Amino acid sequence: MTDFLQYLVNGLTIGTFLALIALGYSMVYGVLRLINFAHGDVFMVGSFAGLAVLTGASSSAPATTALLIAGAVLAGSLVSGVLGVGIMRIAYAPLLRAPKISLLIGAIGVSFALEEAVKLLTHAGFRSYPHVLPQTMLLSGPVRISYSQVVLVLLALGLMFGLWAFITRTVRGTAMRALAMDSDAARLMGIDVERVVLTTFFIGSVLAGTAGVMYGLYYTQINFAVGFLVGLRAFTAAVLGGIGNMVGAAVAGILIGLVQSFAAGYVSSRWADVIIFGVLIGALVLRPHGLFGERVAERV
Amino acid sequence: MASWSRRMLVAHCVVALSGLAVSISACKKSGGDEGGPIKIGVPVPLSGDSASAGQDILAGAKVAAAEINEAGGIKGRKIEIVEADDACTPQQSAQAAQKLVNSGVVAAAGGYCSGAAVPAAPIFGRANVPFVLDASTNPVLTDDGQGKVFRTCGRDDRQGEFAAKFIVDTLHAKRVAILHDNTTYAKGLAEAAAASIKKNGQAEVAYLDALTSGQSDYTPVLTKIAGLKPDVLYFTGYFAEAGLLLKQRKQLGLTFQMVGGDATTDASALRTAGDTAEGFIATTAPLPTTLPSAADFVRRYKAMNNGGEPGPFSAYEYDAIKVLAKAIDKGGTTDLIKTLHGLEEQQGITGSIAFDDKGDRKTLNFIAVTVQGGKYTAYKP
Repeated sequence: MTDFLQYLVNGLTIGTFLALIALGYSMVYGVLRLINFAHGDVFMVGSFAGLAVLTGASSSAPATTALLIAGAVLAGSLVSGVLGVGIMRIAYAPLLRAPKISLLIGAIGVSFALEEAVKLLTHAGFRSYPHVLPQTMLLSGPVRISYSQVVLVLLALGLMFGLWAFITRTVRGTAMRALAMDSDAARLMGIDVERVVLTTFFIGSVLAGTAGVMYGLYYTQINFAVGFLVGLRAFTAAVLGGIGNMVGAAVAGILIGLVQSFAAGYVSSRWADVIIFGVLIGALVLRPHGLFGERVAERV
Repeated sequence: MASWSRRMLVAHCVVALSGLAVSISACKKSGGDEGGPIKIGVPVPLSGDSASAGQDILAGAKVAAAEINEAGGIKGRKIEIVEADDACTPQQSAQAAQKLVNSGVVAAAGGYCSGAAVPAAPIFGRANVPFVLDASTNPVLTDDGQGKVFRTCGRDDRQGEFAAKFIVDTLHAKRVAILHDNTTYAKGLAEAAAASIKKNGQAEVAYLDALTSGQSDYTPVLTKIAGLKPDVLYFTGYFAEAGLLLKQRKQLGLTFQMVGGDATTDASALRTAGDTAEGFIATTAPLPTTLPSAADFVRRYKAMNNGGEPGPFSAYEYDAIKVLAKAIDKGGTTDLIKTLHGLEEQQGITGSIAFDDKGDRKTLNFIAVTVQGGKYTAYKP
């Protein structure tokens, strides 16, 4: 039983990271019908940007450490946000009128370009984040939960709630939803489609960058390839949740984290990916629109 | 994944073409036994997760070459180190080996990941170029090497025996969990240790399975292992995962002793693990830091590398180059394989070196090291 609870805690932690990244895949798909394969690498670049700020930091004075962490999160999210907008403008915008397959191939190209660039810049080895997160435990009985874990999960949930509020409560958010339903009609209604698309890329990439820095702080080890597997799993979550559906992406992200944790625990770590992608195939066969699909799959 | 294989295809073509170009230019140049420098190839990972280990090995080779060249070279000819990146992958390793053969090396000294060294060995073998390994420890390499592969490092089956004995006799473990990462090296070492523990019969193997490297989160697998209540977890994979396992074991509050294989003795694992690495034990061939005979080498290495410490295998690479130089000095660059087999015992900085029929080192004792104050020191019970 305690094992089960610990798997649950492990899985929730992994899942919140996946959920944050899955939101970006889902949002971009919502407005552009594009699977942004470079999204995992935007996450990775954000993680390195955060590390650049934290390099040389030591956990001597708590106040400066907190400031450094805030600076790292800010740097990671902004670098990723700008990168996302840049990718959209440079690589995707010229292809918007081309067949969808060109856009998809363009996205894969951007993904490889980012990975290889960071690989060359970092000599391909892995980099360690400084140990700045406190290791104190909230629960240290048979089931262990650290304060860092709680803070990270709450921060991620807060970001998700903020995104939900933005989409449902603001004019720009409403415009995003309108665009997702029918981009031509939205244009006719006077919505500045290009600006809304760029906003979508910016917000999605900011979330990925923030997740990247949180990931680095929590696991303390990153490399140029870290976005590939994480991105693939987050993409799985986005599809499982009903791609284009925000709530679906968040819930399915956490679900995939739990599947990974339980699969590694009860079967074998070697089989985790087989099971995760097996779940994806099963979901696609049984519920082609994803778990939260219905017809809402077409909306943001 | 189709895009991956396409990328591989393009890479193959590019390397095949460049290899062709190199071999043409090599034909124009003089052969091995005339003037000019003597080329020794160093195939190591210079990219990928193991890149830092490869850099340390290459730097060790350069220290040896610099010493030989300063002393006048071999019969007046300088040694030239030719590096090649095997990226720790079988595909790129085969290409790197071919590139070195084409560039006219008389011997190769290097290797880190066994999985990368296995496909490289027959390529050197076909060209009759001896391949002296400094860190690739899988038994298959010398067992199937037709006497053309040599090792200054140990073998996984012998390390497995040592680890089993150490874990049972010195750490008094009754239940042992063994975790590898499905690579040639890690799996071989894990199975050797498990077989040895079972044969001995004093302790039982409670767990033997692999993790998937590159996942960052190993808490599920650690939780599973903790549920089996082992006294010791023996992790035979590489240092990138070892650092994460140590950190996450502490996060989960697990108390079993963690022991690693010789691929975990890299300083970068300690950077990832921070103070959670204290008390970690690793089985390994002696490290430069525990070898008094390597003191001069360490000093020289630091001077040549801006104060950087040598890696765990730098000294074995240094010895590999020195032994090759000795053999070339004695028998010239042709028939180098035969000369190496017949070479009398050499005193290297890692101990005395002579090769048996297979090419393995006749004597090499494994030791246990432990982390104290953020550094590896010899383990004392």
